[in-house]
Amino acid sequence: MGKFLLVLIIIAAVAVFWGIGIYNSLIGLIEAVNNNKRQIDIQLDRRYKVFESLIAAVSKYMDYEKTTLKEVVELRNQAQAAKASGDEQARITAENGISKIASGINLVFEQYPDLKASQNVLQLQEEIVNTENKLSYAKQAYNDSVERYNAKKKSFFEALIVNYFPDKLNKEFEYWSLPDEQIKAREDYTVKF
Amino acid sequence: MALTDYQGSAGDWRAQIKRNQRKTRLVITLFLLIYVGVGLLADVIIVQSSYQGVTASQALSALLSFKVIPYATLTMGGAALLSILITFAFYNRIMLLGTDSREITPKTAQSLQEKQLYHVVEEMKVAAGLRFVPKVYIIEAPYMNAFASGYSEKSAMVAITRGLMEKLDRAELQAVMAHELSHIRHQDIKLTLVVAVLTNIILLVIDLLFYSIIFRGDRRNQDNRLLFIVMMLRYILPLLTVLLTLFLSRTREYMADSGAVELMRDNEPMARALLKISDDHATHAEEYEKQYGDTAHEELRQASYLFDPSTIDPVKSFSSMFTTHPDIQQRLEAIGFKRKK
Repeated sequence: MGKFLLVLIIIAAVAVFWGIGIYNSLIGLIEAVNNNKRQIDIQLDRRYKVFESLIAAVSKYMDYEKTTLKEVVELRNQAQAAKASGDEQARITAENGISKIASGINLVFEQYPDLKASQNVLQLQEEIVNTENKLSYAKQAYNDSVERYNAKKKSFFEALIVNYFPDKLNKEFEYWSLPDEQIKAREDYTVKF
Repeated sequence: MALTDYQGSAGDWRAQIKRNQRKTRLVITLFLLIYVGVGLLADVIIVQSSYQGVTASQALSALLSFKVIPYATLTMGGAALLSILITFAFYNRIMLLGTDSREITPKTAQSLQEKQLYHVVEEMKVAAGLRFVPKVYIIEAPYMNAFASGYSEKSAMVAITRGLMEKLDRAELQAVMAHELSHIRHQDIKLTLVVAVLTNIILLVIDLLFYSIIFRGDRRNQDNRLLFIVMMLRYILPLLTVLLTLFLSRTREYMADSGAVELMRDNEPMARALLKISDDHATHAEEYEKQYGDTAHEELRQASYLFDPSTIDPVKSFSSMFTTHPDIQQRLEAIGFKRKK
């Protein structure tokens, strides 16, 4: 009898520690998702600052429409307002507007062959590519962390623990994606020369 | 050889990484089993020499049920733990020994290419969700190669030769850096160090056992079967541990290739870079062999390189069992590019 009880206690202790392990790793995954979501904001903010200074630098070299700078600032304000009011779609639209301006800058370079070859412009282009890449990789990292969390949360055993602490462990995270009509527009898009 | 000779597909990096994680676990389990096995063998020999007339199986069952404390096994475990901790503490950038290298930061970048190099590392850091940017070094050498080392903010580094940086385009450079960053985030250096430490201790103990049996004065109650086992192991274990280490190294290379595809979500740049590097090594074989030979302490880096330079020399790579890296065809196939017949 004593032996049976001992075995029972050991099994219970192992189960408790296992449960704690699952709980802690789920909390870690949730915080990783939160952090990665903020990372997107950090990259958006960085892009805004980089582009602002790029446009200021570019307009010194050529007669590039000064309004571009105003456009970026305005789109940025729209994005901020949309973020504050929680309107994800308006925010994504505004942020995409800024991306379009970036490709606009590249088009302007094409019209000035001397300029295009100059070291400064190559550096500017590298800066733009780097900035846009970082933003998309931040989105990718966010989606990856959502995937890891969702997969763990819905797994067997983990799901049991989640049931016990639903408000701590059961979070709903949206994958970062484009709205449907935009996906359609992007799919139909081709380059016209 | 161009990429057009290959049948491209998307490749499944998730499956590849899982497969290689399984292989790694298998190798590590085997290593631990060998380790405990050698420890118990030592204990059986100690028990037999201190108690008269005990058979090997009696000694073993007494040790396993802890009627006799397996001192040798426990000592070996403690020694391994201690050596691993010491190695981790003192292991810091010995990898650059003998090279002409320079650290690249946004401030010390001297050309657009160097800036681009730093940028791609930063981009891959964002994609991997790493908490720090590893130190980036450029090695002044014409051959195309790169390697990574370290596992923490303090020790993590990636290094790339000038030849590689200049001959690859931005996407290919990014793939190479993603491969190196994957070595860091998969903690491959830690794994390699642990295996090296375990191997050294195993071989040391088996040698000690061998000599202690040979030179023991009293041979009357000697168990000849044990002597035979120790002698066999003394020949088999060095070979076996080398084979296991190399198998592990190849496994981690596959994993880093797939890790690069995971970060970029595109397998083509990695494939292009690998082909470019292997073609470049083939065309400049003699030149590079001399340059690799002129660099001191090259053997330190050989296993960590993106591309194993010893494959230049066909004599050294006589069998794929004895290489640190899988051959280029197999690496391409693993990320989804199959050679057209």
